[in-house]
Amino acid sequence: MSAVTVSRTAGRARAGAPAPTGKAAQERRQRRAAFWFLLPDSLGLFVFVAVPMVLSVVLGFFRMDGFGSFDFIGLGNYVRMAGDPQFWSSVRITLLYLVGVVPAIFVVGLGLALLVQQKIPFVGAIRSMLFVPYVISLVVVAMVWEFMLSERTGVISRLLGLFGVDDVAFLGEPSLALGTVVVITVWFQMGYYMIIFLAGLQDIPGEYYEAARIDGAGAWQRFRQITLPLLRPTSFFVVVTATVAVITGGLDLVFVLTGGGPAGATTLLIFYVYEQAFLFGELGYAAAIGSVLVLVMLAWSALMFAVTRGGRFDND
Amino acid sequence: MSTSNSPVRRGSPAAAHLTRRDMLRLGAAGAGTLAAAWAVAGCTPSASARSAPLQFWQQYAPAPQQDPNLVAQSQWFLDNVDRWAKAGERPVDMVYIPAYTDPTNTRLTTAFASGDGPDLFLISPGDFLRYYNGGVLTDLTPYLTQEAIDDFYPEALATRTVDGKIYGLPMEQEPLAIFYDVPAFEEAGLSEGDLPTTWEEMLELGRRLSGGQRTGLVLDTTPSYYQNFTFYPWVWQGGGDVVDPRTQQATFDSDAATAALALFGDAVGSGAASRTLPAGGDMVGAFTNGYAAMWQTGIWQVEAMRQNAPDHPYGIFRLPAPPGGESVTALGGWAWVVNARGRDPESAARFAAEVMGSMSAESVDRAVQWNGVDKGNIPARRSVTEAIGDSGAFEDPVLQQFRDEILPTGRAEPRYPPVIYKAVSNAIQNSMLGGADPRQQAETAQAAISSYLETYEGGSLV
Repeated sequence: MSAVTVSRTAGRARAGAPAPTGKAAQERRQRRAAFWFLLPDSLGLFVFVAVPMVLSVVLGFFRMDGFGSFDFIGLGNYVRMAGDPQFWSSVRITLLYLVGVVPAIFVVGLGLALLVQQKIPFVGAIRSMLFVPYVISLVVVAMVWEFMLSERTGVISRLLGLFGVDDVAFLGEPSLALGTVVVITVWFQMGYYMIIFLAGLQDIPGEYYEAARIDGAGAWQRFRQITLPLLRPTSFFVVVTATVAVITGGLDLVFVLTGGGPAGATTLLIFYVYEQAFLFGELGYAAAIGSVLVLVMLAWSALMFAVTRGGRFDND
Repeated sequence: MSTSNSPVRRGSPAAAHLTRRDMLRLGAAGAGTLAAAWAVAGCTPSASARSAPLQFWQQYAPAPQQDPNLVAQSQWFLDNVDRWAKAGERPVDMVYIPAYTDPTNTRLTTAFASGDGPDLFLISPGDFLRYYNGGVLTDLTPYLTQEAIDDFYPEALATRTVDGKIYGLPMEQEPLAIFYDVPAFEEAGLSEGDLPTTWEEMLELGRRLSGGQRTGLVLDTTPSYYQNFTFYPWVWQGGGDVVDPRTQQATFDSDAATAALALFGDAVGSGAASRTLPAGGDMVGAFTNGYAAMWQTGIWQVEAMRQNAPDHPYGIFRLPAPPGGESVTALGGWAWVVNARGRDPESAARFAAEVMGSMSAESVDRAVQWNGVDKGNIPARRSVTEAIGDSGAFEDPVLQQFRDEILPTGRAEPRYPPVIYKAVSNAIQNSMLGGADPRQQAETAQAAISSYLETYEGGSLV
């Protein structure tokens, strides 16, 4: 390292430029190294994320037929969106889905994390079993649940039949279908958020609990006064990522389970985008809806960062 | 650390001749050369690309399964392309697309969106107009003789023809009927004499046969082109329509359409039909396990029963009619089409016409093999129907019943664009599963369709 420094300093000196200090040269080298290390990732992100994202936004100003015909229509797709009852219906359903899933994932994930944090027999196996649904293909998850919930013949319907509840069509009744999709979503995602919460719980120093116990605090007080406040960074992460996952996910689940039905009860916005793009060939309109989705998520993330001062909780 | 940047290396003879600027210049020149080569390669097809085999996307060949029937169907396609290549024509590669018949399959859509659609592909009536309006279908009329055109049943060609020009050659006609499970009927003390002929009788029978794990009547429940396809005949039976083929105006707010929507709603509401499909939509599994007694579906289930439950007794009957109406069914079926923007549409069109639309003895024989032996469904051409007679697959009395009793009541599946499909689909779903008022739903759909047709430009809606 020193040889390089000497050489470059000497070169600059020969050219008559002011000789930088050793520290400045080191900083310059570090910046250059950072540049080269970041370049491959940045290029990948630029080509495969930034460019398609920009193209998608641009596409939202065109009418496309899916066969190479482009017509610039300005804000036409956005005007159409504003007056499209199907779009607003899917927005409403997505909000209901969001309101159902995110709090449930938070509570269930945290509850399971508290449970598997305990010293109980086979805790490793229990953690693995709870995490397994998350790594199973969503299509498989949907098919398994479809069979279990099958009207008249599914295992759940038969169990309910034992209690005199017959002919419940969880996936065929509009008032039940979205709730059923919410339950399945929570079921396959809870393991992932359990692990996140578990990591957060294990970061909380045991001395705090010990001191609280000595002071006579009960379990609920320890949870409220120590666990919840110190889990705030983790909670923030869970709420932001779960929200984004819920808004952009669920397509494969709905696709297999209900096809958006019954009577449109499970037509999430992402499913509507898929339908417009790939079933109807309305690529421009689908791109415009996608752009709105991105804007909503950006606004949500910005709000969350603003409320939490950039996700920093150190000074609390 | 002292190797690459050491003063010694920097002062070496090689480095002395290659400054950083030289390196940048060399890099830019190299990148430019590569880009130019890529652009030239992309713009100018090479000799090998010009003679490369054409691609034919479909759901049959090469068969990924070992089932003898599927292998035979696959072999039918492979034999045709072999024969074509041996005749010195441009070869055709069969490309099997998994789940090709699923309307939500994105392979074809994305291929065309990226300007890379296959040279030939199979198309269903529901998709026809989107591809026609997109300008990617080749007019096949110049490749057909008038005798061959006249050999097709008019209803088989109707939805593949625009302004007298033929854009698709149908392989088959697939009528809908109601399949019934004989053991379920026998358990309920019913016989053939109890088969329903009216809507009311059908619902009554559905209620009677429902119970335990069994659904009496299965009407399709999933929102899709297929559900619309199964719904249209119920509208036609009362003299209604979605769009009047003559005036091209929406006519969905008719009494007939409202009655059909009400029929679907009543079927579910009264407990005659289920809200979801038993056995995940597998009719064969549902019949053999006692999960369903009657199921509205198409002729393709005859082959499915033959393959998977050859000894299970079942029968079919024509769709019951409303009071004062007539039994009408819908005719589906796949057709060969040629991509007008493909690599060699002329060669592809000649291939399609030779296999599917020639009056040569060889072409008719091939169709006989397809409809009468390998696939076992109703031909799209008169000469083929006559040549098959009651031989091969048509020894099956169910297929004979389809051909003799149900086909004459058939009308081709309409080729409505997505907006019309969606308006009708919403009305069906809301009336059937959402408990909505059928009249109001018909009016809502009518308004959406009328609004769309005001600015619609494209092939006629039939």
